[in-house]
Amino acid sequence: MRLNNKTIRSYLFYSFLIFLLTIPLFYFVMRSLLLHEVDKSLRLQLKEIRSNLGEIHSQDELTAWSKLDKDILLSPIDEPIRDRVYSINRYSPKHEEEEPYREIAGGITVGGKMYRLVISSSLIENDDLLSSILLVQSIVLFLLICGMLWINQRISKRLWQPFYVALRNMQQFELNKQTNLSFLSSTTDEFNELNKAIGNLFSRSSEIFLQQKEFTENAAHEMQTPLAIYQSKLELLMQTSPLSEEQADLINGLDDTNRRLIKLNKSLLLLTKIENHQYQDVYDVEIGALCKRLILQSYLHAEEKNIVINGDFPERVVVRVNPVLIEILIGNLLSNAIRYNINNGMIMVRTEKNTLVIENTGASVPLPDKVFDRFYKQTGQAGTEDSTGLGLAIVKNICTLYNYTISYAFIEGRHIFRLDFHNGSARQGAGS
Amino acid sequence: MKILIVEDEQELMKSMATYLKSENFVCEEAPDYATARQKIELFTYDCILLDVSLPDGNGLLLLNELKENKKTDGVIVISAKNSISDRIQGLNLGADDYLTKPFHLSELNARILAVIRRRHFQGQHILVFNELTIDLTAKSVTVHRTPVELTRKEYDLLVYLAYNKNRVISKNAIAEHLSGDEAEIFSNYDFIYSHMKNLKRKLQQAGCSEYIRSIYGMGYKFDV
Repeated sequence: MRLNNKTIRSYLFYSFLIFLLTIPLFYFVMRSLLLHEVDKSLRLQLKEIRSNLGEIHSQDELTAWSKLDKDILLSPIDEPIRDRVYSINRYSPKHEEEEPYREIAGGITVGGKMYRLVISSSLIENDDLLSSILLVQSIVLFLLICGMLWINQRISKRLWQPFYVALRNMQQFELNKQTNLSFLSSTTDEFNELNKAIGNLFSRSSEIFLQQKEFTENAAHEMQTPLAIYQSKLELLMQTSPLSEEQADLINGLDDTNRRLIKLNKSLLLLTKIENHQYQDVYDVEIGALCKRLILQSYLHAEEKNIVINGDFPERVVVRVNPVLIEILIGNLLSNAIRYNINNGMIMVRTEKNTLVIENTGASVPLPDKVFDRFYKQTGQAGTEDSTGLGLAIVKNICTLYNYTISYAFIEGRHIFRLDFHNGSARQGAGS
Repeated sequence: MKILIVEDEQELMKSMATYLKSENFVCEEAPDYATARQKIELFTYDCILLDVSLPDGNGLLLLNELKENKKTDGVIVISAKNSISDRIQGLNLGADDYLTKPFHLSELNARILAVIRRRHFQGQHILVFNELTIDLTAKSVTVHRTPVELTRKEYDLLVYLAYNKNRVISKNAIAEHLSGDEAEIFSNYDFIYSHMKNLKRKLQQAGCSEYIRSIYGMGYKFDV
């Protein structure tokens, strides 16, 4: 649940509770106030009648007067009674139904005779008034709550905007991608501090990452010269005579090891260069044509193991990519398919929609998940002797750079690598 | 043949000089930009080996210097960086070839000979070893005046061996030379054995003496 909704939920609950509670409360308070007013006016009427009784002189006059006013009822009594106010439901001829009335009963004396005088007042108008007031009140309350919620929502949205921007920045932040993150400055101190803290964290991590990358690249570069010297000395050593078989064997071992070192170093350099975005130029590359060329190049190596390579490119796949990197990417996959193949094995290279599939025979067990890790090597397997363990790591890196998906499956004894170009969307990431 | 080696790494310079001197080149050494500039101004070389990163300047600038002085020395740029832009820049500035560190001395030697051949013989050049003749212009090989049909790789292999005659060339150097750009990707070098076998067989069938010798599985030698 979003932060905003969470606070609003509490407000909403409280407002609703108050809303429900105030309506009956309001009803009762208003009603008693109105009744009080009616009672006051009834008493006043009674008092006025009593004070004006002097103007009535005969029994007949009294009867006539009481008959004129429908709200007045007179009945003779023997004993004096006390004034009393009460509510009663009575049939109203006007509305032809029972209606609530408020009445006052009191004794009066006319011409020495005692009468019970009842003055009644219909409460029907009062009830109407009360319900109107309540309706208005409810509308006002409702509008108030809605308005509060709306304002709150709006203010929260604006208030929390810097927070959401910061959050999005953090989600988008990637160490190996140089992204320009802009924060929203706010008048809220906490958000400004948060932005500053996140910004510092980003720049510090990027700096460390950059330093590490630079270090790797520099280290690999610096290694080139001693490796070159070493190799040249080995070559000179080969020219010395007399040269015994034992010495030749040792030199040979050194030469092979040196070649491995050189290759390892080159792969490391390549990895750092990819990560440092040093392959910027992109062109449209047709995958089928590239594969055909690579298959032709690999012919010498495939022939050694008598491996048959089939190429089938019914789908034209064109990607916008750096030509060096795509060649390394597919070349590495193809080279692995040859290297880890069996004698008289086969390799199938084909295109599908936006996808390149490389299928090959090889070991009878599937490769583990960590096959894309750096320096991962399968121990004791043919072909690993002079492997750097970086080939697939480079593949993975290039895929990450261009947002390609590389997946591996082992189906019916065949190792299948699928390279999904995602509609050739090479522009992403490459240009940053 | 006079060669100038511009290289700040003493040990690498020594190795290069030793190898090239035994190929009967006259080698001069320049460990920095200033020395190299001085030497280039004063003398003319058949080939200059130019390291790009020098302690006191970019070696590529010497190429401009050569152009301004209208010098026609052959130049092979040597760089620790294997970047395409460097390579293109070097070649655009008038370098004849580009070599990335680390390299094999036999490869360097072959490149120097190729550069000199292109400059001095206007591309016309023939290598003759008794009955064996290699026409570098026509890219053809004859034994006792009879043409021998070789594949492109076999021809490249023979020329490489001939350029480095009487030297032991490691099998790694041969493999790298033959695979060229593919070496970056396809690193299995077993394939050279079959090429070597085929080449030797074809030459032998044409009546050529056995010049190519295997040296204890370490490498090969073209003995004449």
